[in-house]
Parts: sequence; C-alpha cells; structure tokens
Amino acid sequence: MCRRFVISGSGKLWLTERGLPPRLKPGSFRGSYGAAEAVPLQIRNLIRHFLACLLLASAALPGCARTRPHYGGTLRIETEGDPWQTPDGIARRLVLDTLTTVDDGGGARSALAVRWESQNADHRWEFWIRTGVHFQDGTLLTPDAVAAALDETCSHAGAACPWRAAHAVGPSVIFTSDSPAPDLPELLGQTAFAIARQDATGAVVGTGPFRVTGFVNGALTLVANDDCWAGRPFVDAVEVRSRRMVRDQWLDLSVGKADIVEVPPELVRQAQQQHLNVLVSRPVDLLALTIAPDSAMASREMRQAAALAVDRTALYNVIFQKQGEVTASLLPEGLSGYSFLFPSAQDLDRARALRGGTGGSGLTLSASDTSAPMQLAAERLALNLHEAGFNVQMAPANAHQAPLQLRRVHLEAGSPRAAFDEMLLRLGQNGTVTGTDAAALWNAERGILDNETVVPLLWLPRAWAAGERVRDLRLAVDGEPLLADASVEGGK
Amino acid sequence: MTLRQKMLLMLALTVFGVVAAVGWTGSVRVRHVFEYLDRQQTDTLVGQFQHEFNQRAADTAEAVSRMAASDALRRMAFDLANGGDPAGYLTVAVPLAQEYRLDYLELVAHDGSIISSLQWTARFGYKEPVIADAGKAAFLKQEDLADGSSQIGLFAVRAVNGSDPPLYLVGGRQLDAGFLRDFPVPAGTELLIYRNVSGPFDAHNFAGVAQDLRTADHYRALVDDARTNGGNAEGVVYVTANREDSMSVTAIPLKGGGGDVLAVLVVANSRRSMVEIQRHFRDIAYGIAGLGIIFAVGASLWIAARISRPIEELARAAQQVAGGDWETRVDIRTLDEVGDLGRSFNNMTRQLAEQRERLVQTERVAAWRELARRLAHELKNPLTPLQITVENMVKAKKLPKKEFEEVFKESAATLTAEIENLKTIVGRFSDFSRLPKPVALEMDAREAVRRVLKLYGPALEEKDIELGTAISSEALPILGDSELLHRALSNLVLNAMDAMPDGGTLTVSAGRAQDIARISVADTGAGLTPEECERLFTPYYTTKQHGTGLGLAIVQTVIADHNGTISVESVEGGGARFVIGLPLVEKGKA
Repeated sequence: MCRRFVISGSGKLWLTERGLPPRLKPGSFRGSYGAAEAVPLQIRNLIRHFLACLLLASAALPGCARTRPHYGGTLRIETEGDPWQTPDGIARRLVLDTLTTVDDGGGARSALAVRWESQNADHRWEFWIRTGVHFQDGTLLTPDAVAAALDETCSHAGAACPWRAAHAVGPSVIFTSDSPAPDLPELLGQTAFAIARQDATGAVVGTGPFRVTGFVNGALTLVANDDCWAGRPFVDAVEVRSRRMVRDQWLDLSVGKADIVEVPPELVRQAQQQHLNVLVSRPVDLLALTIAPDSAMASREMRQAAALAVDRTALYNVIFQKQGEVTASLLPEGLSGYSFLFPSAQDLDRARALRGGTGGSGLTLSASDTSAPMQLAAERLALNLHEAGFNVQMAPANAHQAPLQLRRVHLEAGSPRAAFDEMLLRLGQNGTVTGTDAAALWNAERGILDNETVVPLLWLPRAWAAGERVRDLRLAVDGEPLLADASVEGGK
Repeated sequence: MTLRQKMLLMLALTVFGVVAAVGWTGSVRVRHVFEYLDRQQTDTLVGQFQHEFNQRAADTAEAVSRMAASDALRRMAFDLANGGDPAGYLTVAVPLAQEYRLDYLELVAHDGSIISSLQWTARFGYKEPVIADAGKAAFLKQEDLADGSSQIGLFAVRAVNGSDPPLYLVGGRQLDAGFLRDFPVPAGTELLIYRNVSGPFDAHNFAGVAQDLRTADHYRALVDDARTNGGNAEGVVYVTANREDSMSVTAIPLKGGGGDVLAVLVVANSRRSMVEIQRHFRDIAYGIAGLGIIFAVGASLWIAARISRPIEELARAAQQVAGGDWETRVDIRTLDEVGDLGRSFNNMTRQLAEQRERLVQTERVAAWRELARRLAHELKNPLTPLQITVENMVKAKKLPKKEFEEVFKESAATLTAEIENLKTIVGRFSDFSRLPKPVALEMDAREAVRRVLKLYGPALEEKDIELGTAISSEALPILGDSELLHRALSNLVLNAMDAMPDGGTLTVSAGRAQDIARISVADTGAGLTPEECERLFTPYYTTKQHGTGLGLAIVQTVIADHNGTISVESVEGGGARFVIGLPLVEKGKA
C-alpha cells in the first residue's frame, strides 16, 4: 500500500492510501470541488507546512515505528442507530461493495466494476464486472448476480431508480435509461446500490472486507474477509454496539471500552473541548424544511412566507453550535460554489405581508427523527412560523402526514451533478439540468427552490471520535468512517 | 259533615300543621347551620391555601436567590460578560432547575433575550419582559409551553450576584395538582385550580383534589363569573338530578402581578350531609305527622265516645222530639257541660210532655167546652123553634078546634123539621167521634184524585166552576185507605166549591216531590186571612154561616192517620190552596 502525508489548507494532517488524493478545504478552489489544481500561493503554503511537518516528523521519528499499521485486533465501534439499516448502515458498508466508489474529488473509482463506458448520449452505460471476486459464502460474483442485485434494489426504489433496466451481457452489465444519466458511475457508488445476495440460510452476504458472524454480548460482530478482492483489512474483527446514547458512547470511549464513537455536529465543540480525537467531515447532511403543497400551503405565496420566516442563524449558532454552514441551497457551498447566491436571511416583515395576516387553519410540523437537536430545531421553526402568523402545532416525530417536515437528508455523492441528482432523489423532487456547467446546475436548482416546497436550512457535517489505539482512521466523502483501512494499536 | 268528622279533621290539621311548621323550621335551621359551616370550612381552606401559596412563593424566591448567589452562575455571568458564547449555555437550565427543584427556569441576558429555557428550549433569543420584576416578591404568572398549553406558576426574578451586565434568572414552581395534594382537604370537599383562563372554558384545565374531574364541568358558570368579574363567585351546583350530589361552590380568582386573573381557585363542599339531614328531618316529620294523624283518628274516636256521641245522642233526641216523640230521653251521665245539657234536655222533654199533656187536657177540656158550646149553639137553634112551637100549641088549645088543628099541623111540621135538624147535627158529631182508623193498602194516589173529580165534575159544571188538573203520568204509590182519602178529598173539593159561589177555577194536581206524593186543591175564592189559616183545622171552626166546622178537622185527622201532612196557602182575596203530602212507598214493597 502507498501511504502519503498530506496537510490540508486548514492545517489538518491526513493520511492517504490506495492512491486517493486528499480532500482539500472547501472554498480553496471555486467552481471545482476537490480538484488537485495548485495555486502558487497554496504551493508556498504547502511547502511551508511540509517543512514544519518534516521537523515534527523527525522529532517524532522514534514514534513513527509505533504508528505503522498492525494486522489483528478488534475494532469496537458504537452507534446510536441501527448498523444494518438500509441503505447506509455502518455494518452494511463493511459487508457489501458497490460497483464504484467515490473519491474525495467526487469522481467515480473502480470497485466491483473495473471500467465503464457511456453510450447513446448517456442513455446507455456498460459496466465491466471484476472477475475472480467471490461473495462471502464462496459464490462467484457474476454480471448476472450484479444485475439481479441491482434489479432487487430498484424494485424497492420504484420511480426513484435512475435506470429503466439493467441486464447482464457477457462480462458486463448494461444499464439503459429513458433520460440521460451522465453521473451514473457516481450514483452506483452510493451504498443504496451495494451488491448483495442471500445465502442458503437467507442471510445477506456481500463481497466486502468483513462478514457478519452474529451477535455476541449485544454487539454485532463482523470478522475480516481474508479473501476480499480489495485485500484483507488490518483488523481481525469489528464489533458494532448499536442503540447506544452518545453520552454513553463517550463514556465508553473515555474508559477504553470503545474505539470509535459518534459525535453529533452540535457536540463537536464540546468534544473538542474535552480533547477527544474528533474527525469532522465536510457538510454532508442537509437540514431542510419540506412543505407539502396542499390544503393550507397550496399557495406559493404561503410557502414563500414560511420560507422567509425561518431563522437559520439561530439554528446554526445555538442548536448546532456553529457546525456546518447556513444555506438556502440544495448543495453545500464547497460542492457547488454558488450556494451563497440563494438568500438565507430571515425576513419576517415580508413573510407577514405574504401571509396576509388572516387567521388560517392549523398546520403541523414534524421532525424526521426523535433526536433532541432535531426536535429543538423543529420547535424553533414552529416559533418562527408562529411569529409570521402561521398557526403551527408540533406533531410527533416521523408523522408523515404533517404538511411541514423537518428532514435531515444525507449526501453521498462527491460531484455537483451527482449530488444534485441524489438530493432530488432523496427529496422527491423533479428537475432537469440542461447543460453540464455550474450555471446550468444553478438554474435547475433555482427552478426547484422557486417552488418553495423545499427550504434548505443548514448543511451539517458528520463527526466521529476515535480512541487512542485507533490508527489510520479516515472519513469517506459522505462522512462515514472508512473502517476497513483502520487499524488498532497493539492488536487485541 | 258530622261533628266527629269535623273534630277528626281539625285534630289532624292541627297535628299536621304543627309538625309541618316544626319540620320546616328545623329544615331551614339545618340549612343555615350547614351554610355557616360551609363558609367556615371554605374560609379555612382558602386561608390555608393563601398560607401555602405565600410559603411556596417565598420558597421559590429563596431558591432563585440561592441560584443567583451560586458560584456556577456567577462564573457563567462572568463568562458571558466577557464575550462568552451564550449558545454554549443552551441547555444549562435543565440541570440547574433539577438542582434547585424548580419547574420553570430561564436564564435571560441583560437585554431580555433568553439564553436558556427549561420549559421551552426553542425560545432562546426571544425576549422575556418579566425581568423588569427583578428583585420583587414572587408572583403568579402564566407560562406558555411548546405544546401550545399554558401553565401557571409562582415565579421570582433575580439578577445573578455581581453580574454586570446583569444575567437574570427567572425561576418558578408550578401551581398544579401536586401543590394542592398536600392540603388536608376534608372528605366531601374538592379543591381545584382552573388554569388557562384566557381561552374558552374547558374542564380539562382543572387540577386538584377532586372525586371525579368530570364533575368539574358543572363549575363553568362560577368560574366564568370569577374570571370575568375578578371577584369571588358563590353558588350551589347540582351535579346530578339528586340533591345529595349538589355542591356548595366558591370560586376565587388568583391574580398575577398585573392584576389580571390567571387562575381560579375552586372550593366545593358537598351538601350531601345537609341534604341527608334535611331528608331525615322530613322523614321524621312525615312519620310524626302520620302518627299524629293516626293519633288524631284515635283521639277523635275517643272524643266521640266522650263528647260527640252524647252530642249526637242529643241531636238525635232533638230530632225525635221534633218528630213528635216527646217521650225521648237521653242517657248522658257525665258531670260536664254535656251532662248538664243532657239533663236539661231530659228536663225539657219531660216538661214538654207534661205541658203537652196539660195542653192536651186543656185542649180536651177546651174541645169539650167548644163541643158543648157548639152543641149548645147548634142544639139551641133547633130547640128554640121547638119551644116556641110547643108554646104555640099550648096557646092554640084555647082556640077553636079548627084553628087548633091548623096550628097543630104547622107546629107538627116545624117540630118534625127541627127534630131532623137535631138528628143531623147529632149524626155529624157522631161521625167525627167515630172516625175510623185507616186500613192501609197500597194504592195509587192518582186514583183517589180521579175518583173525586169524576164524582164532582158535573157539580162543578153546574156551578160554573172551571176545572184544571195536573196529574202526574208517573205512578204515586202510597199506603192508604181509599175511602177515607176519598172523603178527605171530597171535603176539600166541597169547601172549594163553597168558596166560589159565583164560579171560578178549581185546580187539582197530583205529583211526586222526592219521596212525597203531593196533592193540591186550589180555588180562586175569597181566600183566607192568616188568622183563619191558623185555626182552619181546629174542630168546630168554620167560616161558613152554616156548618159544623168538622170537615177540615176530619181531613186533617185522615191525613195525619196516613202519616201525611196538610197545609194551606192563601192570601185574602186570592183564593186558597190546600196541599196534602203523603209518603210514597216503593211499589211492591208496601
């Protein structure tokens, strides 16, 4: 494995491997996220930092030997949610592979597919499947199996499936779609399209670096797949303890009972103040208010009034403790470069004017999950709307019939176009991009946001805290930890 | 209504009236007493509530003051004053409130913006105007919550000690059912607090100690009155149709610092005890009244034996006396006034009998004298010509034979006529003295009338007397002697004919008058004076020039022997009307 030290624009030290370029600080390059284009000033800074690190490294040379990854040991990770939840449970990521992966620059890299080709103006794609790959139960990975797995996934996605048909032809899988799908390779890198099959016992098996062995002492246990096509992971096993509250996770981390724990964005500052080893991703979770265009909110003016009533600054400053970024765009600034063009300031006067001042029927607002920050954010939004004259009552979490929903939508894609398509998919919006440049993307996004059925509020990062014995832990583009590449000090 | 019934009624009414008066008085008195006790109890509870309220207010203020003096808050105030990020203290109100056991807590910056709120976390940044009351005593305040509801609580505002600019603490404790649960509420009493006074009445806004909060809906009117007028409201609330389930309710408004009504304290005392006692009273009253009536019946029976029976006996005896039985005596031997009355009655009847005897004797004597006088008068008339004729015959003896024979012949004729006259007079007297007793047989009175009219019909025509009849079509069965009745009616008809020498109208009627057969004979003659009417039926009394005066006496005797009555109605110059009344009998039951 090739390993490199990289220092980002913010001064953070990154370890890279497998030849993937590092993520660079958002805003460093406008209009192109994660590109390795150097600016003279940046090179000077880079050299300056390199020399500083060289000095540091020489001082720490005796300890470097200690940081070399070791095989063996068990990585213990704790989460609040279900590790096996679809599509992106942390355990599923360890067990399953996708046809492609998304690098830090947002581009698609080969995984189970070795190469691909677009035909017929992106209406047809052909992916050649890697040979010699076996599922964890020993079954050979074939194009038919890939097509079957993706058909199974699409059958649940319904209209959200990005292709019309997928079928195996020889060593490849052919995808056909009614509309052009230029970012299909990036899309196939999402965990939603991971390749899985059921073995003889009905258990889900994949081609990933780990396979599930069962529950031991309340923890989902995964052992290393020695025959993984990508190479055996460093650790022998991963234990995933789920349904643990964050407070308990931190406690376990502090006493050495856990190696990797979650850090919600609103607790990042607190974790840093407590000197935890915190890894923070780029903004990958969009906090948005969706408004159903029916009954009381059928009028666009009413929806616009609701959008103008929300106070994003309060959510950002207080509830989420200045983590992430205030936004009124479907894409983070670092990805699109144009999100600042969408106004995000609260305008209560205009909201009241659009509202009309007449008493209306009651509205309900529901948060998509029961976490305290989401509930608090939803209550805050209800207050904002109440100030604008709306009669809003809080509904229980996940009340799908509530016309106002506060949702947290996860972004996996790394390229602007792919991210845009992914957000449309996840938010249930329809839109077409005519063109390939940022302006076309902006126009398409403006067309969707003008309808005022989606009100982006904040982009939030994901964060994890790692224990002292964890080595080489990185975060993927979507903020999830790359556990397969991590090792543990001492090997347990 | 008999005397006994009257006495029974009076006794019963007296007893009932007395019992009713006592029962009503007792019931009213019971109600007054219970109302007084209710007021006392309510005042006591309200006093306790006020005391606890003040105590809790002081406790709240003290807790907030201690918090304001704590090192933790002072460090926080220092940090914020030196540029610390308020966002970091978003949730600090939660542990602080737990530590100081407060239900509400807000940390408010000097500009009034909320830094942290326990009861509504999302309100950070919004203004809290109540900081103007910093340092004052605890006050009642209505607190809006995230779920849209409102709660009331006792609040105190303090500035953190030494903070500059000041950091304010707005802490409070809820005024809810838990606060009231510690009250020693007597059984049957409900102590409630009505909150959320701003909206329409909703029974779910009650909290407190109650048997069943569903009954709280009945307090609507009083609660509305209290929260509208700002003063106490009292009244009786009927929870169900039963009076036992009624409550004596007092609603007391609880006001905030600004004088507006924030809550209403409701004290409701059950009236069950009072109603039960009243009912018990009433039942006793009814029982006593019932017993009293039974007593009255028994008393009246006893009184009847002692008082009314003698009086009834007296009354009956008086009726008998009135009916002619002057030998009636009463057997009353008591020594009271009734006994005196009885003895007096007996004396009276005895004297009446004696007087009647004497009267009868006197009348007998008088009748004999009258008879002798009439006899002498009647006899004298024919005797005088007899004497003269005999004297003439003696004188005529001296006359020549031929003249003597003429005188003798005339004298013999005169003597014969006068002797016949004497015989007639004697015969009438003999008839009156030998008037037979009637042989009573069932007969129709109408037949006697028709028989008389048939007999004298021609005679009436001769005398130019018009006959008018009104005989009932209904049978008039009587027990009578047809011959004697015929004789009596004949006398009446003859008298009527004699009263109309120049003609007139004779009206004869026969009909039923209840249980009497009434026969009347009316003429249009000269009529009778009242004095004549009184003496008309006296034997030997007559208004005619000639006559024995026995005709109407015979009629009266016949009618009397038939247990009937006869009367005369007449005015001078307007004719006379004789009315006979004979008792009817049921046909076939004679």
